[in-house]
Amino acid sequence: MSSDTQEQSSLDATNIPDLKIDGYALQKLVEASLTWLRTNQQLVNSLNVFPVPDGDTGTNMVLTMQSALDETIDKPHHNFGKTAQAIAHGALMGARGNSGVILSQLWRGFTRGVEDIEFLDAQSLVNGFGLARDTAYKGVVRPVEGTILTVAKDLAAAAEEMIQTIDDPIELFEYVVAAADKSVERTPELLQVLKEAGVVDAGGKGLFFILEGMLRFAKGQQLETAITTVQPMAAMNLENALEAIEPGQDIEWVVDFQPDEELDLEGFYYDLEMMGTSIQLGEGEGIYRLHIHVPIKNQDEPLKYTRSLGTVTKAVMENLVAQMEEIQAGDDGSKLTLSPVEPGQIAVVAVSPGAGITRVFASLGVAALVEGGQTMNPSTQDILNAFENLPTDNIIILPNNKNIILAAESAAEVTVKNVAVVPSRTIPEGFAAMLRLIPQGNFESVVQEMNTALSEVETGEITIATRSVEIDGVQVEEGQTIGLLNGKLVTANSKLEDACLDLLKKAHVNHFELITLFYGADINRNDVDRIADNIRRVYPEQEVEVQNGDQPHYQFIIAIE
Amino acid sequence: MDFAQGNSNQIAVVTDSTADIPAHLVRKHRIHVVPNIIIWGDRNLEDGKEITRQEFYEQLPSMKPLPTTATAAAGVYEELYAELFARGAQQVISTHASSKLSGIYNAASLAANEFDGRVIVIDSEQITLGLGFQVLAAAEAIDQGTSLDHVEDIITNIRKRIRVVAMLDTLEYIRRSGRVSWAQAKIGALLRIKPFLEVSNSEVLSLGETRTFRKGVIRLADVLARLGPLEKLAVLHTNAEGEALSFAERYAPKNIPAPSIVNVTTVIGTHVGPHGLGFTAVIQ
Repeated sequence: MSSDTQEQSSLDATNIPDLKIDGYALQKLVEASLTWLRTNQQLVNSLNVFPVPDGDTGTNMVLTMQSALDETIDKPHHNFGKTAQAIAHGALMGARGNSGVILSQLWRGFTRGVEDIEFLDAQSLVNGFGLARDTAYKGVVRPVEGTILTVAKDLAAAAEEMIQTIDDPIELFEYVVAAADKSVERTPELLQVLKEAGVVDAGGKGLFFILEGMLRFAKGQQLETAITTVQPMAAMNLENALEAIEPGQDIEWVVDFQPDEELDLEGFYYDLEMMGTSIQLGEGEGIYRLHIHVPIKNQDEPLKYTRSLGTVTKAVMENLVAQMEEIQAGDDGSKLTLSPVEPGQIAVVAVSPGAGITRVFASLGVAALVEGGQTMNPSTQDILNAFENLPTDNIIILPNNKNIILAAESAAEVTVKNVAVVPSRTIPEGFAAMLRLIPQGNFESVVQEMNTALSEVETGEITIATRSVEIDGVQVEEGQTIGLLNGKLVTANSKLEDACLDLLKKAHVNHFELITLFYGADINRNDVDRIADNIRRVYPEQEVEVQNGDQPHYQFIIAIE
Repeated sequence: MDFAQGNSNQIAVVTDSTADIPAHLVRKHRIHVVPNIIIWGDRNLEDGKEITRQEFYEQLPSMKPLPTTATAAAGVYEELYAELFARGAQQVISTHASSKLSGIYNAASLAANEFDGRVIVIDSEQITLGLGFQVLAAAEAIDQGTSLDHVEDIITNIRKRIRVVAMLDTLEYIRRSGRVSWAQAKIGALLRIKPFLEVSNSEVLSLGETRTFRKGVIRLADVLARLGPLEKLAVLHTNAEGEALSFAERYAPKNIPAPSIVNVTTVIGTHVGPHGLGFTAVIQ
């Protein structure tokens, strides 16, 4: 790729005293920045506000820089300013994503500061950074601080400050890169979403790598191996990774190993990416810790692979799907988050008998929960307290049990707030109503919608008869499993499984699409899975979803819809 | 030929592929549609080329890595505008997807800066045919010789009467897209949740959820019926053509032109996933 003339006048790290940075040198610097950015591309992609693998900032910036470099290869020029112009044009044409567009604006502005200069000098560099900043800010409809813009601003400020004492462009550049680094680290202080996600801004980090790549080249440092994809072991956030499981990536491995030879990180990452996702690598005291999610068919691969590299000191494999179900089922109550409510919005208070049910209500947008159910009816005061603690006046209460409707109504009468009781008699009815919540919607129409929704789901309940009796024409012996359909007794059986199947048959479940089983606190998961599998066999056309409801007394609460 | 008959002001109409304007209408009104880009692994696919929408949606659930999307570069817009002026356009009106949901408007605006006010870039605050109907209204007015100032008023007027509502098959894609904050919170408990959403004033709002497709269709029809008398309707889907056709047949008002059935652009589809159903309506 390089011609003889290029070799002579280009940047040569071994020959810094006589260094003159011309257009060919700039081309080499851009090539270096692209190489370094590409080496760190996955890291930039991973700086994602949401714990899901969709980050593409690194990729967008690489593609933009690639287009910039391609333009200079087509039109090599000795003049620094002319080469910068080609770079800016290439970046503009190839800009990808918001970060790429801003990057192209930075180049466009920078070019204006170095127009027609033959060799780069410190003052032109300062001018270029200043105009880069100005152009980038103007190119964004709503500039946000704590992003690549802030980094561009901070590094320009550093350049303007250092020009007072430094007249060598490379020395100046070194300070600029350090300022960019500091600025990137500061982005979470300026932008709350970054702080919450525990990341720095991806675009800003990408810009830093572009600049650092140039500096590393100038100093003769290697550009092919990422140094920052290995983090201190203590900094690995494995809990966060757990929340980001993708379909099909069911197995999580955490493997500690001591490689026999120095780890070839690029090859290592390449191999791992063929195996799975959510890859993290930590290092501490000569030991590497690998974290990865893999599909079941690859479940032994991470261990085999790390063994091939050296000595495995510790390995833990877990089934993520099972873990997620436990988390969802509310085994860890501390993770429950209720929907925040703004004054004036509609808030829903729901009565819930179990942690798992509570979790589902929370995920559907409930703002407050009152504990209670069949045998532990909450008081009017309990319900009233929930109303009074909400920051809005527009409240809907879902009693979710026919024995709690009255308490809800009297609480609604007592409060000064605008409360509507949507008289859900069962948990599935409460869920059906929740699906109609539009917090910012019109109160009357949301209440009306929720009332309509109550009749759109059939409720099955499975429990144990506490005494012998005949109701609704069904003879029941104490200790038998009984099934209620929409509150009416329809089956009594000595076996739990038969009671479930009989109940579903009486509900004409073959006319419906979806059966959701919320299993109770008194039944073990193996029995649940066996019963669910049998239901799937009998009703192959219907979807069966199993959730841990964790409710007392009822082995199953069943939503049929 | 870049201008339809009657377009005496020689105003060129530009939009991007998120507008979902049916091909025959693009041709009829000489609308210039800039394709957006799907990035799938190492491949950059131009929206609507290289892979059909149907193929894309069939493959989407198994695509690994998941594709992402990108706007065409500002330079692409700059070149198109320059070419239109070179071919005799006096003015360009360039209407694009909501600036809060994509960088397209920004890219077009940057390009427009180079043309001294001869390119008017408009933020439609909408996507898919919510944008497309605005562009079509502009193109129709221009074909009748309406001046650019007046065309802008026409766009603003129709925008207020546009409703875009959809039911997605799953929360998964919109959650991954990271563009909709409420989608994050709704994940984590019930596995089968089909979100309802409305695009309005540049934002994607939640209209609640449903758990089965059949009930979702009934609710979608209900939302449509409550809009009152309509001027235009399009039924949108992501590879659910059968459902879209039967929705149109059962629920489209008979006193308006037959609705277009649109398999939504893959650039939006990447963020909403397959088997979604919805509509864009223009209220009278």
